Amino acid sequence: MIGIPLHHYLVVGAVLFCLGLIGFLTRRNLIIMFLCAEMMLQGVAINLVAFARFRGNLQGQAFTLFILTVAACEAAIALALILMLFKRRGSLDVSLWQDLREAGQEENVDEEPLPTAPTAVPDPVLTPSGLEPAHRQETTHV
Amino acid sequence: MPFPVPTPFAFFRLDALWPVFVPCALGVAAIFLLLPRPRKGRTTLFGVLLGGVALLGVANVTRTGLLSPETVLFYTFAGLAIVSGALLVTQQHPARAALSFALVVLSTSGLFLLLAAPFLMAATIIIYAGAIIVTFLFVLMLASQAGSTDADARTREPLLATALGFLLLGCLIYVLQVSYASNDEHNLVLAIQKQIDQTRDKKAQLSQNNIKSLKDYPTKVMAEIVKDSTDANAQGQVGGSAHESAEIQRQLDQAYIDWPNVDVDTTTVEDLRVALTKLEATLQVTLLRAQQQHGWLLPNAPDRNIVSNLSGPAAVVPNQGNETSWRYDDEQRPPMPADNSAYLGRSLFTDFLLPVELGGVLLLVATIGAIAIAHRRTTPARVP
Repeated sequence: MIGIPLHHYLVVGAVLFCLGLIGFLTRRNLIIMFLCAEMMLQGVAINLVAFARFRGNLQGQAFTLFILTVAACEAAIALALILMLFKRRGSLDVSLWQDLREAGQEENVDEEPLPTAPTAVPDPVLTPSGLEPAHRQETTHV
Repeated sequence: MPFPVPTPFAFFRLDALWPVFVPCALGVAAIFLLLPRPRKGRTTLFGVLLGGVALLGVANVTRTGLLSPETVLFYTFAGLAIVSGALLVTQQHPARAALSFALVVLSTSGLFLLLAAPFLMAATIIIYAGAIIVTFLFVLMLASQAGSTDADARTREPLLATALGFLLLGCLIYVLQVSYASNDEHNLVLAIQKQIDQTRDKKAQLSQNNIKSLKDYPTKVMAEIVKDSTDANAQGQVGGSAHESAEIQRQLDQAYIDWPNVDVDTTTVEDLRVALTKLEATLQVTLLRAQQQHGWLLPNAPDRNIVSNLSGPAAVVPNQGNETSWRYDDEQRPPMPADNSAYLGRSLFTDFLLPVELGGVLLLVATIGAIAIAHRRTTPARVP
């Protein structure tokens, strides 16, 4: 009997979970943070389905269906919340909500400036066609 | 008689640590270099290179050493999922991040299909790729911002968070490696399987002429198993547990004691056939034990009542002694079930009825909540 052993699937699930964790901790865009949380859920779902396969029953698959349900609910609520937050501050940056921190905590201030956007190259000006150019008067005669 | 890997089982072994530690350290460097930050120099190329090496390291931890369609598909889907997951984390543009999340979902669905869950594959694609990502893209369009912003071009504590995440990953992979399998044990399973096949062949070709070759046959079997699995040990892989090796040795010793004294004049073919059958059964038991130890698919033991399986009924069904009524293929695996969704549905409405109802209530509450949050409260226009 040749096949992929169980723990290979578990390793894939663990990698997806940890990548999602890193993304959730580091990224500042609210939407990317929620996508990373969804990716953590995907890692968990791989674990559950793999256990269902290797134990030969359906419980893991049923549990994964409930994860899907909760993920759908979470997405709906999260998007509504994100929209409301965006309306208040005009940006998806989660650091704009630092004033919700506790009393003793220091504010996190960005020191390194953002790169300035490259200045737009001006459009080339075409010479108008159909007009006779002004002739210069010749000054020397041989 | 020598037997492989009688090393004492130590939980913390340094030689087992580096195949996990090195890819994780490379991964920390790769993700840290790839994460968006202002004034990013030419670090992207280094990051991609380091990430590729780290991915190869993880593949080394989970290598099987066989090339079958299943392994090729597994590595394709798993690699695609991990690469697009890393893209999602490191992508500066949110719309591209959402698209790489769609790739993660698609390759995860491929893994679901490999794991005999076709209904979940379809449901995941429809719900995630079809509904959630499209909604996210809509919100992205509503909240579109021009140029690079604080939200996209900066990260919070990139080094600490990356190190933390990969520390967790290293611990998880290490524990999985120690507790489930290493390649030796994989080779041990393969070696036992090979001997079972050989014993079967010997039984098929048994005749009065080749009786002599079966003298002390269990000793040969054991020597072969030792040879096949010590070859792998020599490559410096993580060893198996001493307990298991001793168990296999004990069982094969018993088979050796039971083995008839082969003599051309007195031993009949029938005696040897019986002995070979017994030996094959012993080997099957050892194989089962080794597989169970290391997370292989559990074969359908005839005396075991299967409560439910991926393509079988959900409720407890007495074993009717009719093997063909269970849907198993020649290798005793439940085959890819075409009626998986039917049985999953039956299981949901018998075993999981209350959770299903609660899930429905949860969806309803979430809908109401989303509407209540996002509802624009306007003062009603006055009617003159």
